[in-house]
Amino acid sequence: MTKAFLLPNRYKKIGWIILIPATIMGIILIIGDFETQWFSTRVFAIFSDEIKSGQFVEGGKVFSFIHTNITNTVVGVLFLIGAMLTAFSREKQEDEYIEKLRLSSLLWAVWVNYLLLLLAFIFVYGFAFLNVMIYNMFTILIIFIARFNYILYQNRKGVADEK
Amino acid sequence: MKNNIRIERAIKNLTQEDLANKVSVSRQTINAMEANKYVPSTLLALKIARIFNKPVEQIFMLEEGD
Repeated sequence: MTKAFLLPNRYKKIGWIILIPATIMGIILIIGDFETQWFSTRVFAIFSDEIKSGQFVEGGKVFSFIHTNITNTVVGVLFLIGAMLTAFSREKQEDEYIEKLRLSSLLWAVWVNYLLLLLAFIFVYGFAFLNVMIYNMFTILIIFIARFNYILYQNRKGVADEK
Repeated sequence: MKNNIRIERAIKNLTQEDLANKVSVSRQTINAMEANKYVPSTLLALKIARIFNKPVEQIFMLEEGD
């Protein structure tokens, strides 16, 4: 049987260990309006522009080293890595049925994500829409992880009381 | 599709866990098949039939509407 492209099971635990603190840090960043400064350093930027007093500074920098606040970057990267490891690691016993549950959860997550985005498109206007875009970068993974683990939990529960 | 895995299991005196181990799938998979929530792949159907020493058709049957 051809196997789906997934990481070995041990990465799932590592994923959770990264994902949980990253989520907490993410919530702190949301509360701080993404202005939190935990880390600043020199980084390589393929593209970068600045906003000063509400206006874009003319002429963004391309392929250059810049000094900037990378708090959002670090937390975002940790969150994505944690979420990807959690979402795309094999279960202990990843057989054809579990694989089917995985794929149907993914379909469900894409549906829900885009229905929510559609609602946001219709009902959110102005600068607030930027927030929608920020959340939407992560929601497919979040919804998928929640849905898949919920389905697995339900299945295990159903099995527990049968002989 | 219907199946009589549960009955065959009782005849052979196997638990869901035993059967799951014999065909190397999770217990959830056996449970889902018995509950008619999951139609197994041909591969798994053949493996299960082999455990019960019966042709596949005696364990898995088409239903009306299939």
